[in-house]
Amino acid sequence: MTRRSRDSRAQGGRYLLVLVVMLAINFFLPRLMPGDPFLYLSVEDGTVSVVFSQQQIDHYKAYYGLDKPLHVQFGGYLLGLLRGDLGYSIYYNTSVTEMIFTRLPWTLFIVISSLVVSSVVGTALGAISAWHRDGMLDRILYAVMIVLSEIPSFLLGVLFLFIFAAQLKWFPLSGGRTVFATYGSVGTALGDILHHATLPVATLAVSRVGGFYLLSRNSMLTVITKDYIRTARAKGIGRRAVIIRHALKNALPPVVARIFMSLGGLFGGAVLVENVFAYPGVGRLMREAVGNRDYVLLQGIFLTITVMVLLMNWLADIVYRKLDPRVAR
Amino acid sequence: MNTRTFHTCAFLEKFSTYGKIGIAIIIILICLAGYSLFAGNDMHMIPSGESLERPSIAHWLGTDDLGIDILAQIGHGATVSMSVGFASAILAGVGGSVIGIFAGYFGGTADKIVTALCDIMSAIPQLPLMIVLGAFFGSSTANIIMVIAMISWVGPARTARAKVLSMRNETFIVAAHSYGAGFAHLAYRHLIPGIMPIMLVSVIRIVSHAIVAEAGLSFLGLGDPLSKSWGVILNRSLNFPGIYFTDFWKWWILSPLVALMLLVVAIAFIGRDVERIVDTKR
Repeated sequence: MTRRSRDSRAQGGRYLLVLVVMLAINFFLPRLMPGDPFLYLSVEDGTVSVVFSQQQIDHYKAYYGLDKPLHVQFGGYLLGLLRGDLGYSIYYNTSVTEMIFTRLPWTLFIVISSLVVSSVVGTALGAISAWHRDGMLDRILYAVMIVLSEIPSFLLGVLFLFIFAAQLKWFPLSGGRTVFATYGSVGTALGDILHHATLPVATLAVSRVGGFYLLSRNSMLTVITKDYIRTARAKGIGRRAVIIRHALKNALPPVVARIFMSLGGLFGGAVLVENVFAYPGVGRLMREAVGNRDYVLLQGIFLTITVMVLLMNWLADIVYRKLDPRVAR
Repeated sequence: MNTRTFHTCAFLEKFSTYGKIGIAIIIILICLAGYSLFAGNDMHMIPSGESLERPSIAHWLGTDDLGIDILAQIGHGATVSMSVGFASAILAGVGGSVIGIFAGYFGGTADKIVTALCDIMSAIPQLPLMIVLGAFFGSSTANIIMVIAMISWVGPARTARAKVLSMRNETFIVAAHSYGAGFAHLAYRHLIPGIMPIMLVSVIRIVSHAIVAEAGLSFLGLGDPLSKSWGVILNRSLNFPGIYFTDFWKWWILSPLVALMLLVVAIAFIGRDVERIVDTKR
């Protein structure tokens, strides 16, 4: 909790610092690598061929601004970023910003829906479990959730893919929607997209639900031993009302903070899970970029994901302060 | 209580049922790995049956598309996956402890820099960063270990720093200091033994993260194709044309998948128990 109790200006400074370091990594990493872009662009791995003459190389270096000193290049890079320019993909030859923004909605869709599902289900189950502490239900739930919270999402995804899509054929094997389909109405289009999204969302949700469950159970267990809960019960308020109005309300802040904080891990999970289901999001694009050695695209995606995660963490700090007046001083 | 007074047996009794299950799973996997390591018959590389045989007495987990026994591959993969896990965990644990001890002991600017670095590292989403680093450094096993260690040192560094900070003002440290003990002596005699138990917890945690990370990178095609870890086996089987429309997945995909899940869950169980045991001793 010490980290949270720092004042918000220090927090803002921290995020700014992370952003600067991120940009520096993004800028310097390719420039620190052995070889130069002309080798990467023109030659297969391990072979040497003369494609460019020295004049051509000089010309292109001037054209891309690579002949200028590093700090001028870095300045140009930052200016470009401010204008939303992430450069051009080496492989696809289109604007990286544009490519990312066509894919981003798909990723956001599965990430956010799985977050909603897992946090609601996990919190509810955790609260139920805490209320029936050491009962049969609590023990079974606890055992299942401990295992679930440890299993990495993409392994779960592969399992789901083969059981529910390949074997039982309940869900499509891959993609975000049926290829070449023409929809009669908005309803069928939406249904098709939801049908395709079910397995990826379920995978991410199941792999996250354990964490929320354990947190909410823990939080509830500490809250229900407090005096005000006993007082409320003594006043004759019903069990259900006590759980919802008194206990849950006080047990919730850490859970809500966790919802935002878990976005970083969730994006990581989504990158892999999208590839399991060939879902057309940013993660899929990232693998294509890796496969094609499209470093510009790869870095653009990395930057976008990180900035989004940073924004969410920042938001988490703000929300947490609002929810729990004890930390906001 | 002193760690040295414990016997192995008494130590085992401190584990919960979950922890014992975890230890059993790890022992089985280590036996499997040891067998494949010392059998010396290269079963994991050489075809020993027909292509894509079902599980049978000869091939307990069937064969892959080249007719190579899958159980042998899993055994060999266990050595690869576990050594990647342990190597990166030890690297991250040692590196992180050194950084944490320095930061906690000397304080001042060094501490500020380390704390800021930790904050930065933990704010960046790990897997995407690992993919970027992996793509740039190239996919050899050594590089993968390095990349994972580069990302995982933050946890150990934070715990070491916190522990050293709390130890620094304890009477035995102050006393040793007043006798003229230097940093090297203090670190060797007091600080390192002091952080050892909690370090164990965070290293165990990193082992399973590292194994999963390696599997994830392999799954994205960033694995070392020359070393057949479980992730590489899984990636190869997933890329087999027609895997979705046949029964082959029931042994070819499930074997590495279940092996990975078992190992990760087992390590997590052990980690939980070790954390609890270390905690009560404090």
